[in-house]
Amino acid sequence: MGASNEHPGTALHAYLDRELSPDESREVERHLSECAGCRRELETYGALRRLLRSARSSAPEAETALLRATRTVRLRQRRRTVAFGGAMAVAALAAVLALVLLPRQGTGIENEVALMHAHALDAGRTVEFASSDPAAIEQWLSARVPASVPPTEGGDGFALRGARIDSLEGRRVGTLVYQVRDHLVDVVAWRSPEPDMEPRPTVSGRWTVCRWAHRGVAYWMVSDTGSEDLKALAAVIRSRRT
Amino acid sequence: MSVEADSREFERFARPHAAAALRLARTLVRNEADAQDVLQDSFLRAFRHFRGFSGESPRAWLLSIVRNVSFTLWRKQERDQIEEPEEAAEAEPDPGPSPEVRLLEACDAELVRAALDRLPSLHREVLVLREMEELSYREIASILGVPVGTVMSRLSRARAQLVKELVGDPRSKA
Repeated sequence: MGASNEHPGTALHAYLDRELSPDESREVERHLSECAGCRRELETYGALRRLLRSARSSAPEAETALLRATRTVRLRQRRRTVAFGGAMAVAALAAVLALVLLPRQGTGIENEVALMHAHALDAGRTVEFASSDPAAIEQWLSARVPASVPPTEGGDGFALRGARIDSLEGRRVGTLVYQVRDHLVDVVAWRSPEPDMEPRPTVSGRWTVCRWAHRGVAYWMVSDTGSEDLKALAAVIRSRRT
Repeated sequence: MSVEADSREFERFARPHAAAALRLARTLVRNEADAQDVLQDSFLRAFRHFRGFSGESPRAWLLSIVRNVSFTLWRKQERDQIEEPEEAAEAEPDPGPSPEVRLLEACDAELVRAALDRLPSLHREVLVLREMEELSYREIASILGVPVGTVMSRLSRARAQLVKELVGDPRSKA
């Protein structure tokens, strides 16, 4: 650092950022006491700092993204465990990658729905409240999720098994779990003003996912069973609500 | 150690820095969908390596991954080009009279974000890392992969340029 009558230049920034040694700081302070121009510059950058701090955005989505990433990792591990033989492991990994990467072109939420289902299976918590009684499930759900949609009982080969609470798109949702043969189907329903929409299942990795809407309620369904089963369950739910 | 336990530990490791990671991603790529992709990819990469992490700043380490992932995306898209006049051309501080502080205090968050967006990304990121994430020069240097001296000079240029964006160039008014 030069004599105190030299402008500190970039060292002024290091001074503002408390990155100078005590000696260097004293040098800059001596200069500041004599130079109004540098004092003003320092004040300007101080004001800029306050302004930038005030503009710092909060980023609550970051945590959701983190949980999604670790969930993906666990799902991947589960697939490795399920698969036997190297080729199977590779195929399973490819399926997970497809699951993670592909839905971007459609909706990110399809991906999230599939991961939600996989994670529940993965963690062995397919239902938190086991019951086949819609009224009991409704009571359990309404205490946990505001404005939850009353569940419809099963039929036509579908049995209502219970419910659990999930997080989808950063929202708390109630998930209903139905069983058909040896497959579990997750159904997430919420009130929505959107027009009726037919279920058109898409296959994402080993999961079949579909979204539909009927009479002010929108649905996501996900399962490892085929498209026909999902359409059939949608028909059962629709018939119970009319 | 099971993947289950590993992933829970990684959540604890990364959670305090998740918001900073997303803010940096938003600084480096310009739309939200890309920022979310970068973040997701960064977490997955970080997970693979965090067991071997032995540095002093997990935040700096995680942010350097975010930066690398953003760059990979950049190369596919278009990267801002700015020349870095190394350590040269640092102008004398301008002592001319100016109500800059009052003008800055009148700015709001919206205005400052818009002004940041007009800066070259090398300037944007150094400002975000220093002023919003409050990282030290050493941490920033390790994220950017440059010497501490370069952090300081880049930061000084970035600040000067941002002030100019917000309140105009005092010299041009003279």
